[in-house]
Parts: sequence; C-alpha cells; structure tokens
Amino acid sequence: MIDLSTLVLTLIWGAAIGCIYVLLATGLNLIFGVMKLVNFAHGELLMIGAYVGYSVLTLLGVNAYIAVFLSMAIVALIGIVVERLAFRRVLGSDKLNEIFVSLGLILIFDNIAVLVWGEKSQRIISPFENMSLRLGEVSISYDWLIAVAFVIVILIALLFLIKKTKIGMAMRATSQKSQASMLMGINIEHIYIFTFALGAALAGAAGVLYGIIFPFNPYIGALPTIKAFAIIILGGLGSIPGAIIGGLLYGIAEQSAVIFLGGIWRNAVAFSVLIIVLLLRPKGLFGEKGE
Amino acid sequence: MFTKEILFRKIQSTKFYIFIAVIAISAVIPLVVGGAFLIHVLTLMALFTIYASSWNLLANSGQGSLGHAAFLGIGGFVSSLLAINLGIPPIIGIFIGSVLSAGIGFLIGLTCVRLKAWFLAMVTFGFSVIAETLVSQFDDVTHGILGFRTPLLVPSGLYFYYFAVLLAALSVIAIYFIMKSKIGLTFRAIHQNESESRMIGINTAKYKLYAFVISTFFAGLAGGLYAHFLRYISVSVFAAGNSFKPLMMSVIGGLGTIEGPIIGAIIIVAIDSLLPNIDKFLQPALSPLFPAVSFVGPPLRFLGLGVFLVIVVIFLPKGVSSLLHKIHNYFREETKKANNIERK
Repeated sequence: MIDLSTLVLTLIWGAAIGCIYVLLATGLNLIFGVMKLVNFAHGELLMIGAYVGYSVLTLLGVNAYIAVFLSMAIVALIGIVVERLAFRRVLGSDKLNEIFVSLGLILIFDNIAVLVWGEKSQRIISPFENMSLRLGEVSISYDWLIAVAFVIVILIALLFLIKKTKIGMAMRATSQKSQASMLMGINIEHIYIFTFALGAALAGAAGVLYGIIFPFNPYIGALPTIKAFAIIILGGLGSIPGAIIGGLLYGIAEQSAVIFLGGIWRNAVAFSVLIIVLLLRPKGLFGEKGE
Repeated sequence: MFTKEILFRKIQSTKFYIFIAVIAISAVIPLVVGGAFLIHVLTLMALFTIYASSWNLLANSGQGSLGHAAFLGIGGFVSSLLAINLGIPPIIGIFIGSVLSAGIGFLIGLTCVRLKAWFLAMVTFGFSVIAETLVSQFDDVTHGILGFRTPLLVPSGLYFYYFAVLLAALSVIAIYFIMKSKIGLTFRAIHQNESESRMIGINTAKYKLYAFVISTFFAGLAGGLYAHFLRYISVSVFAAGNSFKPLMMSVIGGLGTIEGPIIGAIIIVAIDSLLPNIDKFLQPALSPLFPAVSFVGPPLRFLGLGVFLVIVVIFLPKGVSSLLHKIHNYFREETKKANNIERK
C-alpha cells in the first residue's frame, strides 16, 4: 500500500502546506516577539487575504500571483486598523483580555466575510491550473512549486529587512527591551504598528497561496492559527529559522497522518504535536528561552 | 468597628435577598408568562448559567480555557451512553459524567497548569478538537458522527425547567462558597500575580489543578443536562462555538464575579433565542444589501456579538455587572446623604 511514490508525494505535499503555515507562523512570531501579544485572530487575516485575492482576481482580472502583493498591502492596512482600534487598548493589561479581544475579532472577521462573500467555498484560479511537472511516477503541480518559491523569496526579504535595515534594527531593539529602546529615541508605537502590519501582510500572502492550493470559506481561519501556533512552539518562540524547520516538519507530519491514519486526523495532529512538544520540550526545538 | 460589622452584614444580606429574589422570580416566571418556547429559553439560561459559572471559576484562577466544549461533550456523551447501553438512569448518569469529566479535566490540567495564558488557551482548544476526532474515530461505541436520541431525564417542559433551576442554584451556591473560601482567594491571588503567590508559599500548580477539576466537574454536569434537555447528542457538541459561549457570557457579564456568568448567560441566550424572530422582519430589508448570503440574520447577529465583546473588554473590563454595582453604590450614597441631612 505504501510505495515510494506515495512517500515522495507525501513529503512534497507536506512541504508545500508547511510553507504556507511558515508564513503565518512567522507573522505570528514577529508580532509576539516585538509586541508580546498573541493574536489568536491571525488565521482570520489569512482567510481575509484569500478573499481579497479572490476579489482582486475576479474584479480586476489580474494574475493570481500578482494578487499576492495586492492582498499583502490590503491586509496590512486591515492589520493597522485592528492594531489601532482593538489591540492597542488592551496591550499590557491582563493577558486574558488579549485572548478575549482576539475572539471578538474572530467573530467580526468571519461574519464580515460571510456577509460580503457568502458561505460558499471559493477557489483562486491560477494561470497554471492543472499543469504539473512529471518526475517519473510522481507529478508535482506547478502551483505547489511556485508557492514554495514565493515563501522562500518573502522570507529572504523579511530576513533582510530585520537584519539589515534601520527599522529592522529598531524592531529587534524593541523586542529585547521596549523601555530602553524608547529611551534611545525609538518611537515604539510606530514600531508596533509596523510590526503588526508586517505580520498581517505575511498572513495576506499566505492567504492567497492557500486559496490557490485549497478551496476556502469564511470559517477556515481558526485551524491555521492553531497550526501556526504548533509550529512556533515546535520551532521555538521568537526563532525564525526554528519556525521554518518547524513548519516543514509539521506539514510533513500532518500529511503523513492524513495518508496513513485517515482524513479526520488532519487537525488532531496539530494539537498532538503542540501538547507533546509542550510536555517534553517547552522551549521548542530551537528556542533560546522558555516562556 | 461596630458600624463596619453592621455594614458588612447589611451587604451580605442584600446579596442574599437578591439571590432569593432571583430564585423566586425564576420559579414564578413560567407560571406567569408560560408558553413552551419561553420555558425552553429559560431552561437554556439555567443550563448555561452552570456552564458559564464553571468557566468563570477557571478563569478566576487566571486560566482562560478555549476548549470547555470538550467537557460539555464528555458529560453529555457519558451520561447518554450509560443510559442507553447499561440502563443507568440519567439522574445518576449525569453525575457519573461530571465525575469522569473532572477526571479527564485533572489529566488535562496536569499539562495545563504550567503553561502561560495563551498556551493554555491553545492546548485546551486543541483538546476539544482531539476529543471531537476521537469520538468520531470510535463511532461504533459513541455513535457520535450521526448522533443519537438521548433518554428522558425528567419529563420535559416545566419539570425539566425546575430541575435545571434547582441544579443551577445549587451549582451557583457551591461555586460562591468555593470562591469566597481560602481556595477562591488563592485562585485570585494566582490570577493577579503568579510569581508573587509562589513566593509567599502558595503551591500554584496544585491550586490551578483544583480550579481545573472543580470547573470541569460543573462543565460535565452542564453537558449531561444539556444532552438530556435537547434529547439529542452528536459530535457537533464539541464545536468551537460551544467553547466560546461560556467565555463570552462570563466576560460580558463580568469576569470573576459570581453574578457575571448568570447575567451573561441570560443576555447571550436571549440574543441567541429571541433575535431570530426579529431577523425575519429584517430579512427583506437587508438582503438586497448583502446578495452573497441567503440569511442575513445569523452573520449580522454574530458580527454584533463580536463587536459587543470587543467593546466590553476595552471599555467595560468588569462587564455588565459592574454597571449594576455602580448603580447600587450610587443609590446607597444617595440614601446615606439623605439620612445625614435628616439627622442634621
């Protein structure tokens, strides 16, 4: 039953799905690192991103892969609004308040999406629909390959931004000691807005790539959030390389579970990984400090 | 000192009278207004009072669970399956279900008590998804995928309502005494500052585990009642909505207070059950605005609930019950002033 081609396909599928989760997890990680805020509504931004991509595609008729950039910009704007109106006001108060606000945002985003786009499942049609690369017995869809390439490019750009630019340096400073960086003349309010917008933009990009590979509806947001969470914990909190490796491992684990255990296990895997890692190694595989 | 004591007793008695009044009103209401639908709604309010109070007790120790539906489901499934397969009367079954739910809560709690707020939220949410998967996987035993008809607990209608109110009152009294006891004080201390509580010698892990076990016991009880009340149970009981409801009720009503979950349960159940009647009138007016959906009511309602939740958290962090406290304090000040003037 299990032959080589299934195994190879599982690995590739897993890596492609993992890549999308890596984008989401990196955004979540970034926001957590700088703002010490956990945005449980991050997956809703992915869902909104997918719908924005879909609308851009149907209304303007642009290429699906150009829609990725438009969606990033629009979701970043939405992120700024959310940060200003909601999270800003509970930042630094009781941690439970952040969870409550996130839940409220989940309800708000889900139902706005239902009202605007309806409950029906949609898909983003890419120009490479149904085209695939044949390697012997295994055929790989071009869309998966492009998704992986996109994620690599975006992550390299992100690393450049964080390591080499001035604002990236300010972000790193804020994440280490927000009060000290305030004394150094960094406007941390601006850094917070920028970080949240950046995280939201990553979720927007992930959304369009998700929409190209999977069908989506307004309720898909919750599970990717949790998967991104499992990935962050697997890779270690605040570690971007950790999130990348964690994401790939996670994607492969999920895909293997679907093939070898059955489809209903797809979501339970995320939590099993989460709980096992938290029990055995709370710092994650590459984490520096425990939370 | 003497006056302080009198005042203290006076506050105590006010609370006591309010409690008695609420019980009396809930006993009389169905006789005055009647109607099967209204009794249904009132029963749901009583059930969700138990469920939301159990969540609130856990949140009081700083642990915000996002997976309480798991325990609701465990309570419901255990009691219903025991009644169907072994013929155990549901009135005993609901308590077996609660004890089992508390047992599983103990095991989950062992993992959770060391976690920070957001990890705990994730793990509990994850546990409800795992519970759903397991119940679907072992469908031959649980019959969960399609669901099944649960046996009668007490005759439905008015009898069930009084039974639910009785259990809700007992649960609220029990939770009140737990929250007022030394254990409850410890919960609050842990919520406010965990490391400081640890410093003064509190074994925080142990107390957080207590909170978990007590809370999941009552959640299981609510689940048993809920399953026998609806006369049907399936895996849909584990849906995320059922995990978020007690949270919304407690937060909107007033987190960490005894009356908050009750007020929240009344508000949310009222919105959920009574608004669909209004939706029908809104439908023709609003549906041209949103061509993508066939029924505008439900998403608009949930959207409103989301906005309401965010606004309450930001502007009214102690919930609706804090408004009532303010009104109460205002009148007390006024009467005090009036008394002083009279005395002069």
